[in-house]
This record gives sequence, structure tokens and C-alpha cells, in this order.
Amino acid sequence: MSSQKQDEAKTTIEDVLEKPSSRRKFLKGASIAAAAGSAAVAASYMSAADPASAGELKLRWQEYFKKNYRIMSQEEKDETVTRLERLAKMQDNVDVQIGNEPPVEKVLFGYAFNITRCEGFMECVTACVKENNLDRKTNTQYIRIFEMEPGQLDPSTGDGQYYHKVPVDDKFYMGAQCFHCEKAPCIKACPTKATWKEPDGIVVVDYNWCIGCRYCQAACPYYGRRFNWGKGEVPKEEITTKQHYLGNRKRPMGKMEKCTFCIQRTRKGKLPACVEACPTGSRVFGNLLDPDSEIRYVLKHKKVFRMKEEIGTQPKFWYFID
Amino acid sequence: MKTNSKFFILPIISVLLMFMLLRDGAVAVASEKSLLEEVKAVNEPFDSQSVKQVRPVTQKTVLAKEEYQGGTFRVLARKHAIERYKCSRCHLDKPVLVTQGLELTHGNVVINHGRKGDELGCIDCHHPDDRDYLEDKKGRKVDFDHSYQLCGQCHFRQKRDWLGGAHGKRVSNWAGDRVVYNCASCHNPHSPRFEKRFPATYSVPLN
Repeated sequence: MSSQKQDEAKTTIEDVLEKPSSRRKFLKGASIAAAAGSAAVAASYMSAADPASAGELKLRWQEYFKKNYRIMSQEEKDETVTRLERLAKMQDNVDVQIGNEPPVEKVLFGYAFNITRCEGFMECVTACVKENNLDRKTNTQYIRIFEMEPGQLDPSTGDGQYYHKVPVDDKFYMGAQCFHCEKAPCIKACPTKATWKEPDGIVVVDYNWCIGCRYCQAACPYYGRRFNWGKGEVPKEEITTKQHYLGNRKRPMGKMEKCTFCIQRTRKGKLPACVEACPTGSRVFGNLLDPDSEIRYVLKHKKVFRMKEEIGTQPKFWYFID
Repeated sequence: MKTNSKFFILPIISVLLMFMLLRDGAVAVASEKSLLEEVKAVNEPFDSQSVKQVRPVTQKTVLAKEEYQGGTFRVLARKHAIERYKCSRCHLDKPVLVTQGLELTHGNVVINHGRKGDELGCIDCHHPDDRDYLEDKKGRKVDFDHSYQLCGQCHFRQKRDWLGGAHGKRVSNWAGDRVVYNCASCHNPHSPRFEKRFPATYSVPLN
């Protein structure tokens, strides 16, 4: 009986080895093996970690197989948001509210930065770190402030790591962050379509679809993107609990992240955290499609320029002088 | 016969090619319209009340006595933030000596406003008789809550920018009713320039 079975097995193996195998057959076999392998990896990932409850495992399983945010129905969005909230409670014991507010109609966000007024106090940076739950361990910052020599307009010539009393006479300060380009090169570079431009102009990342290849970071001419090297360590009492799926929710390790114009705030009519924190009023934020907005006033009445305008990315971030 | 058909086909193909090229070109030109042009073409007013979930500003505000783009707006109130207001509690009709006042009550006031060596004095801005008010150069009483009327006399450029939204900033919201910071919300009127200090944090090299 057993020898017969062995023979059968032998014949099948011989068949495979001896018969001229077609490409299609080979690929089929390979894909099955790959699927089995990935299932094993997923299973090991799920079980090897800290002893998680069955409920948590179920949630993580469901999270693992969700769609890209852009093709989710509203129901699916609500479901994943609820799952993420429950997971945050289970894993980190924090009560967060993750939103999935859609873009407001007839709104296109724009930003202006007054290089005459900025004095380099960097309160925008601390507010941003706090608001967006940025990793404290690697000191991730979405905003950079450069101390510039007079006459220079390219931040790469400035000092981005100053730490002394500011403002220094005869220097000026220039902030840079994600400029939310209308023709964003990072979007074209992404191989998994994990980053896109929302109808209100905000360039967002689906952290669960990002594979962390960092192509977008290489494509961005403004150094606007950050790679999440760590697990996003934030002291529990400092976590901003009002979150957005595309915004400041907890990012898994190894994903790209960047300024989202504080999507969790701006879609509710609030100003981004950097604008609210700026002590000098150098930062202007508003709706470009509103002719009565402050940003439109700046565009109309001030001398404005954009960084690297000649490359045609059309950032929605203008610098202006008084 | 063969040559004839060739003669027919060639022009047709070339016309087709021309057509395709031109069409693509036209599309390219249309999409080249810059963002700024597109934005500036939008002139219909935006209903900023249409943004849901806007929370009204919680700080105390007053209706500004100026117009913003043809409409009204509000500014942060100031009077409640002045520790010793009302001033007339001390500044009655009895005489108060300047030296005494400086030593006893207003010792914390450091004037660093105006040209060096020719700094402003108290009654350049404060009303000489009614200390609960400010006084502008035309002798009109100016309320502490509406100090922009006074500051704007000299700092007219800043006031123009402030009215438009290029100086100062809105409070909390970009949508909803426009509420902006008052002059004295950010500037110390006695020493309006921001003091030099260490930045709130520092940056490490990019990853």
C-alpha cells in the first residue's frame, strides 16, 4: 500500500521533472508556493509577537486585508477606523478618535509663508510634532526652518540646524515642509498608488498601502517626505487623540509620512497646528477658491514666489515678503 | 493603379497624423494653464459657513470697527487681559506723580517703542485725561479693544496688511466667522519688537 503511494509520488515528481514544463505551469506552481509562504509569514507575524487576545488577532487579520483607502466605500472606511480605534485601545491602551472626514466641497487649500516676519523661533515645529504624533525617538519633524544669508532664496544654502538665540541680525528664516504640489512628482513615483492628491489639494499617504520603498522621497524636489524608521514612539500623555485616517494616526514602522496640512484639523475648519502656533503670524493658510480668503489677499497684493517654480510642480505653498 | 492608391493613402495618413498631433498639443496647452491662473479665475464667493464642525472661537472677542473685504470681522478683546484695568480706579482727579507711578505701580513697564533716544511717552498713546482710553493723534478716544485704530496711525502698512490678512493671523479657524488677533495680542505695546530668544527646538539632519 505504502510502496504504491511512494510510486505514485515518484511518478508525479518524475513527470514534473521529465515532462517539458510550460511557463504557465511553472508560474502557477510558483505562485502557489509564494502564497503558502506569505501565509506562513503572516501567521508567524501574528503569533510571534506579544501574546495577543483572539479579538486583537482577528482585528489585525481584518486590517491586513483591507483595501486602499481610495477604493473603500464609506462603510469600509468606517469599519477600518473603528478597528484602528479598538486596536489602539488594546495595544497601547489609549482612547483615540480616528476620523475619515471627506474633503469639503469648493475648497482648495493653500499656504503662504512670510519670510520677512519669520524669526526662527521654531514653535511651529514643536506644535507639529505634538499634533501629528511624530516619533520622538528619531526626532522626526515635518517642518524645517532654515537660517538664510541675505540674498539667498534656496534653503539648501541655509542652515537648517541652528540652535542659538534668534533672530540673528541680517539673517532671515525660511520654513519648508510638504508643499502639496498640484503636479506632485512623489505621486508619480509611487509604485503602489499609496499616495495621491485629494480633491481639496492635500497630498496624502495611505500608510497601510505604503511599502516603504522611499521612491517618493527621492522624487520630491523639496525634501518634504519623511521615512518612519521607528515605531512612532510618543509618550502616552502626549498623544493627540483626535486623529484622521490619512493624517496623524499611528503609522506602522517603515512607512513614508509627511505634512498633511493637519488634515484632521483643516477638514473641520481649523487652522493647521503650525499656523496656530506661529508667534509671529508668518504663516497664512486658507481656501484658494475663496476670493475673500487671506491666502488670496496675499497672492493678490504681495510679492510671492514658490520654491523651484521652474520645474513645474506647482506647489500650493508660496513665500512672500512684506 | 498601384501608384494611384499610394498617392491617395499618403495624404490621408499625413492628415490623420497632423490631426492627432494637433489635438494632443491642444490638450497639453489646456493642461498647462497654471494653478495660479485657475485659482484667480474663481471669483464666486465661498460660504465659509458651509464647513461643518467648525467650533466657534472661545476667547472673548469684539466686533471690529473696520471692514474686511467688504464684510465685518471680529478681533480678540484686550481689556479683560489688562491686569489693572480699569485705570480710573487710581487715575481719579487727584494728581498722580509720574515718578511715583513708575516706581510703585508701573515699574514693570519698559518703553522700547519708537526711535532710540526718542522713545514714546505714556501720553503719546494713553489719553491724558481719561486713562480708561487711548488717544489718537487727532484727539479721539480709542478703546483698548480697538487699539489697531491707534497703532495704524504710524504702522499703516502693517494695518493694511492686517486688515487683508497678510499680517497677524486668524484665531483657531480658517473657516467660519473671521476672528483675528489684535495688535496687542501678540505685541507688547510698550516694547513691540519680539525679544531674541532660543528656538523652541532644534533639527537633526534629514533621514
